[in-house]
Amino acid sequence: MMDTKNTQPYLPHELIIQILLRLPVKSLLRFKCVCKLWFSLISDTHFANSHFQLTAATHTHRIMFVSYSDPLQTRFIDFEASLHQDTASVSLNLNFMPSESHSYIEIKGSCRGFIFLYSYSNIYLWNPSTGLHKQIPLSPIDSKLDAVYFCYLYGFGYDQSRDDYLVVLMSYDTTLANVSSHLEVFSLRDNKWKEIEGINLPYMNASDDPRTGSFFNGAIHWLAYGVDLSVNLIVAFDLMERKLLEMSLPDDFYYELSFCELWVFGDFLSLCVMGDDTVEIWVMKEYKVHSSWTKTLVLPTQYFSPLCLTKSGDIVGADGGNGLVKYDDKGQLLEHRSYCNVRGRSQAIMYTESLLSPPCFLSEPKKMTQTRRKRSTRRRMKL
Amino acid sequence: MAEEKSQASSSKMLTLKASDGVLFEVELNIAKEMKTVQAYIDDCEDIETIPIPNVLGKHLAIVIEYIKKTNEEYDAEFEKQWNMDDLQLLLLAANYLNISGLQECLCKAIAKRIENKSPEYVRKVFNIENDHSPEEEAKLRKEYKWAFEGVDKD
Repeated sequence: MMDTKNTQPYLPHELIIQILLRLPVKSLLRFKCVCKLWFSLISDTHFANSHFQLTAATHTHRIMFVSYSDPLQTRFIDFEASLHQDTASVSLNLNFMPSESHSYIEIKGSCRGFIFLYSYSNIYLWNPSTGLHKQIPLSPIDSKLDAVYFCYLYGFGYDQSRDDYLVVLMSYDTTLANVSSHLEVFSLRDNKWKEIEGINLPYMNASDDPRTGSFFNGAIHWLAYGVDLSVNLIVAFDLMERKLLEMSLPDDFYYELSFCELWVFGDFLSLCVMGDDTVEIWVMKEYKVHSSWTKTLVLPTQYFSPLCLTKSGDIVGADGGNGLVKYDDKGQLLEHRSYCNVRGRSQAIMYTESLLSPPCFLSEPKKMTQTRRKRSTRRRMKL
Repeated sequence: MAEEKSQASSSKMLTLKASDGVLFEVELNIAKEMKTVQAYIDDCEDIETIPIPNVLGKHLAIVIEYIKKTNEEYDAEFEKQWNMDDLQLLLLAANYLNISGLQECLCKAIAKRIENKSPEYVRKVFNIENDHSPEEEAKLRKEYKWAFEGVDKD
């Protein structure tokens, strides 16, 4: 099988796969060019799933940064590197959308390598790394296209029990005196919208602008206003149970929610609050435990919209202008970079590089037993 | 952690015979780290010399040294001494001998070395023929243009 002296070694498929599983997404996409075998190994959905799970600790994350200039500018930034290192950004195109759409996009969420975005009246789920995308239909309420309903909560997440991606919208009829929200869920696997009936949703928007959700612990979380108790709170939709639950904000929390944002700070659900002169970061040290809300960090700035953490624990966020800032875990400013000279709005979101592709509409919902699956998929890889 | 495993109390020795006839006397507990050898011992209890037909003496020596010295520090420096061909031959040896720690270490090392390289470089390393048509390859390069940015020059 193996010649001993001077011929070049020849690795069998199973060993090639073991090596490929340890490469980042960027390398793997490039190596689809190597030969037809590598192309099919890397394009295989089992490989993509194994790779995503195996590399969980070392996933490459990027920030998609959109500047609403004319024309629209998009950047895909590796924020582990210095914000000033332009070579750490890659150029990706938005050609999956018709060109008229390129002038206006609204990012509404990201999960497992997919970005959930609107372009005018079109909804897309897009994997920027592979270019794979899916257009999903507008929800029944969204497609009414009248100004009566206000959709104030947008969310995107992953239901591990069904290997399904869900888009979640919450809206209410602004003409009615008694506010009752409607919760609509789109399942990628079922390929349809469904309104969650039979639950009381006495919620409305906590601030003027619609909010995007934070996917954490299998649920999507938003800040909202509870009309029955007249109080600001956190509303969370559990994607496995398909149930809505409430969480309260810290005691004596008198900040206006227009200046607050929920985000996932490492392993914790966190509130970022813009005060008069500083920005406070509160962390729920124990999930769902109200008393565990703790003020953890104070940043020496008036505006900060948090995005993500670097591997070394630095905090990266948007500066409210057209740039990004990086603070260390003590709240010291490390870097600040402006991306656009033109004043104007910008939007940013963190996403993960992945080879994952949305589940096929035709396949059966798979029952996942995660720990066993990891082993058996690896064995299945031996060709 | 830095203690050599050969200092363990087990003193039974075993001989491993590489493909080129080179003989290695190793302690039983070292040999047992190679699951293939362990299986051999389980089948034939009184065996003293075990043939390792797939591995050259040069590589078997490296594998045995790895088993004796492996720890986080050693592993980090281990792969630096070997060229790409040797890394692959060592991986084949580790795979045949079924030593998971070494296999993991080598897969990681090879991946690290090719991570930022071009497809041409990778083909040379693994002795792979490019069976994509020029059109197919051009299409892939265009589709994943971003993945070709910042790649090491060959």
